[in-house]
Amino acid sequence: MAHHEQEDQCSSTGTITQKIQYPLDPSSYKILDEIGVGVSAIVYKAICIPMGSTVVAIKAIDLDQSRTDLDSIRRETKTMSLLSHPNILNAHCSFSVDSRLWVVMPFMSCGSLQSIISSCFPDGLPEPCIAIVLKETLSALTYLHNQGHLHRDVKAGNILIDSDGSVKLADFGVSASIYEPSHHHHHGSAMITDMAGTPYWMAPEVIRSHTGYSFKADIWSFGITALELAHGRPPLSHLPPEKSLLMKMTQRFRFSDYEKTLKINDKNKKFSRAFKDMVASCLDQDPSKRPSAEKLMKHSFFKNCNKGVEVFVKNVLHGLRSVEERFKESRKHVGVEHHEDEEFEVGSSPPVKQRRISGWNFNEEGFELDPVFPFFTTESREDSDSVVKQVRFGGETIIPPDRIKKQSESDTNSEESNLGTQLAVHHQAAESDQSSEVVGAFDNQTVLGGLMALRRSLDEERQQVSNMIALLGGEISREDQLMQIVERLKMELETERRKNFELEMELEFLKHQISGADNSGGTD
Amino acid sequence: MKGLFKPKPKTPVELVKLTRELLLYANRTAETREKKREEKMSELSKLLLEMRTVLFGSDQSEPNADACEQLTREFFKEDTLRLLIASLPKLAMGPRRDATHVVANLQRQRVDTKLIACTYLEANFDIMDTLILGYEDGDVALTYGAIARECIRHQSVARYVLESEHMKKFFSFLQIPNFDIASDAQATFKELLTRHKSTVAEFLSKNYDWFFQEYNSQLLESSSYITKRHAVKLLGDILLDRSNSAVMVKYVSSLDNMRILMNLLRDSNKNIQFESFHVFKLFVANQNKPPEIISVLIANRSKLLRFFSDFNIDRANEQFEADKLLVIREIATLDLNETPSTYGDDDDGETSPS
Repeated sequence: MAHHEQEDQCSSTGTITQKIQYPLDPSSYKILDEIGVGVSAIVYKAICIPMGSTVVAIKAIDLDQSRTDLDSIRRETKTMSLLSHPNILNAHCSFSVDSRLWVVMPFMSCGSLQSIISSCFPDGLPEPCIAIVLKETLSALTYLHNQGHLHRDVKAGNILIDSDGSVKLADFGVSASIYEPSHHHHHGSAMITDMAGTPYWMAPEVIRSHTGYSFKADIWSFGITALELAHGRPPLSHLPPEKSLLMKMTQRFRFSDYEKTLKINDKNKKFSRAFKDMVASCLDQDPSKRPSAEKLMKHSFFKNCNKGVEVFVKNVLHGLRSVEERFKESRKHVGVEHHEDEEFEVGSSPPVKQRRISGWNFNEEGFELDPVFPFFTTESREDSDSVVKQVRFGGETIIPPDRIKKQSESDTNSEESNLGTQLAVHHQAAESDQSSEVVGAFDNQTVLGGLMALRRSLDEERQQVSNMIALLGGEISREDQLMQIVERLKMELETERRKNFELEMELEFLKHQISGADNSGGTD
Repeated sequence: MKGLFKPKPKTPVELVKLTRELLLYANRTAETREKKREEKMSELSKLLLEMRTVLFGSDQSEPNADACEQLTREFFKEDTLRLLIASLPKLAMGPRRDATHVVANLQRQRVDTKLIACTYLEANFDIMDTLILGYEDGDVALTYGAIARECIRHQSVARYVLESEHMKKFFSFLQIPNFDIASDAQATFKELLTRHKSTVAEFLSKNYDWFFQEYNSQLLESSSYITKRHAVKLLGDILLDRSNSAVMVKYVSSLDNMRILMNLLRDSNKNIQFESFHVFKLFVANQNKPPEIISVLIANRSKLLRFFSDFNIDRANEQFEADKLLVIREIATLDLNETPSTYGDDDDGETSPS
């Protein structure tokens, strides 16, 4: 037994992929351009000078403004630096610069798929290209799931593209490991029970999260992402997020309904049977019936994408302006910041704003950025910037401006309240190109439809809805409302009392000083 | 057809035995044939994954209690844990993570109602040395750190680390420029100083002088935002813990300590100000303030009162407001000539502890 310590030897076997260590001081980097701005984070394009001027993206997060605790930031950067897969955006390194944390990441020059769609392909990508990017995304999901990680926020906005056509899944802000001690105790087996993600992409079992869910939740979101890529937006995105959740709870996704509207609205859009079959399998209400990421890779829809990425680069990326140009453009036009790192996520109660480190989406559409919680408050946003005004109507409906585009004739007669008609209603509303009230009215109609469907639903579903409502803190009876008002008034009174008391104290203190002065002047 | 030739699943005992053989192999670096080595390492990775599946179950199956118990018993029968930890640097990221999950899970497994992982570690404390010193090596720091945190769930193991020389090293680990490593060390440090109340109280009273001297100078007075913010938050957690009350009284009776906290209170960063307040209030609320503290508070009375009247935070809550009021009241009524016991006039009886 010869115990030669030959560390070099073993790394040469290839069993370890030694991570290249990026420098941990800001002076090694030169910032070139801003490519994204949020409330408390900025994303830069930069070069790393000692590494032969490699281009990198740096996300600088203001930790003192950040409401998220440092512990969850630690978990996210750790996840990013421990995962290693060609289709996963990992962090080169992170270090602090004053009260900012710099996270250095590979630079993905084309930005997110969502930003590509919104600037160049508002009606969706061609099918062969969808197959290519989705296959790469699946490969990332297969890896993540094998590692025991759920991504929990799969969507086009979190799929980043480089100019050579490489695809990376980003944003581990709400990801979870089923092997973390906090999770696996719930049910004995690996299940997660807290709610997280972005509403339109969320699987039904995540919404009623108390029963637990696992990897198949990512497969649902993957299916929604496929539709998003195909049509430029996810299903139900015409509804405010909370209503989309309700619809998903109460209605099964029926591909035939969805297809019907697509035929009506996108006459020139035809998708293959393989695509529809693939998406339908992901959107099965029963998680156990959805294929695993690994199995889905073998689906016939992905058979033909071995031709390589040239198709994708040629058809989609060719002629696309750089992400920094698009960012500047968007700022010029909209004149507003994109709060890409301050998405409201549906967290376990109480609702929390999640800080996202690994994502750097730009040009995110309003509907993803507006708060999901709380639902019924009319909380006025202090930064009442133009985007907010454009996308919110009476705090109810959220339809971003570029969403309002001319669509072909839509069927206005359909009355059933199914997914299909709702999409049709959406297109119609959008088409009418009118003021907010119209959109709001249509929206009320759909809500009414949703509620009617609700009433007809089975006891089980009714139970789920009430759970759901309880979860979201909604449905307050009149009595409760009054109680709340009383409570609030009490609080106000209390504050007034306290202020009063403070003033009295101050007065007493001054008196004290005066009497002290008197004493020292007099007797002492 | 494939199913016919599938190898029979290994029993937990076989699984551990095979893993141990391969670990022994991995630790012998004499092997020069690369191909063979690679084969063995990939076999080892598969075994680690299999162990993970036994302990955590899979999509299709829940873990089997008997199998878990057998595996745990076999694992700690010999020096498998030591071998595994020694081999971790030679493994790729994936198997490292599997190994971490396996070791973490084993810490909680009971064999005949006993936590045998704890018994094993008590006989092999030097493993903790390897794990903690991992923070000095960027490559394994996060893996070793995660495992160390699982091991110090056992009180005896935490006591060993607290009493070791490593505690002094933490002060430099916490200032490592790599954010991931420094914050992992921070998480372990916090766990050590908060998890096992009686052990922590004992450690702090025995090591009061050097510990708080380092804590003040290296952490609270650090120039790094993150170091300061973590340090002042943890200090609050430690001092406000009932089991540490003796340490708290000692800490808040020192004028030097109060000076540091007063400086932190004026920090330009809101979060640091806020966390500092939770410590500063203890100096003011102390029923037996030493005269030098009283005189400094009186000398700064008007400045402090002005400061607190403007001192507000975004996420103000009842507790914060109540604490602030108490601090204001106490400072406003301080009198150097009065003896401590006469604080609180008859009209504000609600503040006296009853």
